[in-house]
Amino acid sequence: MKRTLIGLTLLTASALATSASAQTTITFWDLLGGGDGARMQQIVDGFNKSQTAFKVQRTTLAWGVPYYTKVRTSSAVGQGPDVAILHLSRLSGWADAKILRPIAPAELSGVGMKSSGFFPKLWSASNYKGQNYAIPLDTHPMVLYYNKDVLAKAGLMGANGMPKSLNSLASFEAAMAAVKKTGALPVSFETGPNAYMPWRLWLALIGQQGGSIIENNKLTYGKLGASTLTTISNWGKNGYVGKNVDYPTSVAQFVNGKAAFMLNGAWEVPTLVDGAKSGKIKFGYGVMPLPKLYATQNTWGDSHAFVIPNNVGKPIAGDKLKGAMQFLAYANKNAMIWASGGLVPANLSVANSAAYKSMKPNSDYAAVAAQNVTYDPLGWYSGAAGPLEAASAKYFPAAMNGQLPVDRAMGLFETEAKKLLTATPKP
Amino acid sequence: MTAIKSSATPKPRKATAPVWGPVIFLLLPFLAVYVAFFIWPAIQTIVLSLTNSGLTETGAFVGLTNFKTLMADASFWDSLRHTAYFSLLTVIPLTAVGMMLAMLTKAGGRLRQFAQAVFFIPYVLPVSVATLIWQWVLNPSLGVVNAVTGSETAWFSDPALAMPAVAAVTIWWTVGFNMLLFLAGLQNIPQDVYEAASLDGAQGFQVFRYITWPSLWPTTTLVLTLQLVASFKIFSQVYLLTGGGPFDSTRVVLVYMYNTAFTDTNAGYASAIAVAFFIAILLLTLVQNFLLSRTRS
Repeated sequence: MKRTLIGLTLLTASALATSASAQTTITFWDLLGGGDGARMQQIVDGFNKSQTAFKVQRTTLAWGVPYYTKVRTSSAVGQGPDVAILHLSRLSGWADAKILRPIAPAELSGVGMKSSGFFPKLWSASNYKGQNYAIPLDTHPMVLYYNKDVLAKAGLMGANGMPKSLNSLASFEAAMAAVKKTGALPVSFETGPNAYMPWRLWLALIGQQGGSIIENNKLTYGKLGASTLTTISNWGKNGYVGKNVDYPTSVAQFVNGKAAFMLNGAWEVPTLVDGAKSGKIKFGYGVMPLPKLYATQNTWGDSHAFVIPNNVGKPIAGDKLKGAMQFLAYANKNAMIWASGGLVPANLSVANSAAYKSMKPNSDYAAVAAQNVTYDPLGWYSGAAGPLEAASAKYFPAAMNGQLPVDRAMGLFETEAKKLLTATPKP
Repeated sequence: MTAIKSSATPKPRKATAPVWGPVIFLLLPFLAVYVAFFIWPAIQTIVLSLTNSGLTETGAFVGLTNFKTLMADASFWDSLRHTAYFSLLTVIPLTAVGMMLAMLTKAGGRLRQFAQAVFFIPYVLPVSVATLIWQWVLNPSLGVVNAVTGSETAWFSDPALAMPAVAAVTIWWTVGFNMLLFLAGLQNIPQDVYEAASLDGAQGFQVFRYITWPSLWPTTTLVLTLQLVASFKIFSQVYLLTGGGPFDSTRVVLVYMYNTAFTDTNAGYASAIAVAFFIAILLLTLVQNFLLSRTRS
């Protein structure tokens, strides 16, 4: 009896082993820790169930410098993942440093994808010097969240269920002042030390005034830099935004109904949708594109994209590449799951579908915001959690908190920025 | 030992002379790990500091260029100043508080073990847990300290308060270990010395001044030396609590080194910071040892 049992166990074990070895594992790293991470897991699970040849094994790492350091250093020694998520704002630096493997047109068409299937702006941001390096997944713009109840109390709600006439800096500042009179916080906004949000707003508003940040390794914003930082620092001075507010607190201020507006990325949409569903959020809320405070409706934005790291000495094997491309095609086809995380899908046919256009609150901001996105400037120093953003994150929040005068904050930022602009990129 | 000495061998010393084979054999595991994970990386860091390497690619040999840049780098000197400031805020307080806690809990009667456990527990916590606790306790809008005092102070975001706040967290977190060292030191002072002193009429502070303090001096110098090195090596608490901010006011040397290596991907220069800092700590420890041994004699 015992012997038969052992025999049976061995048989099962070897059967399991063969079925496991028949499946090729695709390792996939990302930095998606919030509601977006849950949706990515749904896509991964869906792909793994949809076929038997490949199994995507997902690992989520800490957002920002830790993630990018790990992907970069491990790929340099051939220990990187088969597929990774990258912010398109970092693509120019990473492609230039040869950390990414180019994706050939045939590999793309082999799984039924084509460049015209994506927003043109995103597709061009996925290319560097004529070669494609990434499959774009989304755009995540900065948007304006609003609390209808608080705004109504301040007499700022229009008949159409939208805030009244927010179409100039003056009208937005008047709205903030009116909210403040009611005792509520006008805008919940991240202003803690090392906050990236002030950089994003600054970049968006310079874009609205027709300015740019960097061209050909030169700072090009001119006087707009200091004047725009003065504008948003005055919001701090006037109590329109809180001082030293860290990121979780900035979200909590809005979710708890204490703030009239929240300026934040579209990635917080699921927090509100889920909160309203579970009854945690009892007020009426809405999401709209960043209003036109100056000449245009430019907003800051970035994009997640899939990339294949260039594992040094261990280029991705043929079967793994096949599986990776199939996974990317699956994720692209099922971008609707991803879109429910608040981010605007990069897949044009999904973005233009009737299902997406009826998705609330996404459709209220998606089209306008995605059209008006300004990315971080190009360059090895640029992009999400890159050295340029890190330099701004030291001084811009300090100006908003009144810890540094605007001119001094601008000067300190420029000293560090110029150091980066003149340095040769370090691989 | 006695057995060997009393044995009939004419030259007993020879019998105890090391037999190199087993010695090397027994030391080998340690040496291998020590060389592979400490000596070799240290040599590599020194070599890297002489190149213009990036994070993932070794660059060209540039001689002492990195060190020349470093000597003129205001950010480096600022970070050294911040490190010295942190050490000033922690080395002597941690030693003094450790000694006081040891003496207090030793006199604690029935509560002794309980009190020692209470003061030691924070030391058991990982740094991430210790800093998380204090991020909550000192949170400007939700924290218990501001709720009780009615203050709106943003402890870790105020350039004047951030470093003292990090120092306070560090003292709370690590003082338990110093307390243990002092407790061991106190245990080593023979009870009859105290009895003799009290017969001679020594009381209160005199007992501390003439018996406890000098008898504890070897422990005190040990704690001061360990603490100075530990305080200079400050990284995790700053990284987790302030990230070096607000605007670099708490950026200590190792945070500057980390940012240079991993945000700016400039490994050559980061290695130069590491080597320069290693030399600085080495010199400082030597000077401190010299001063402390002089005061002792």
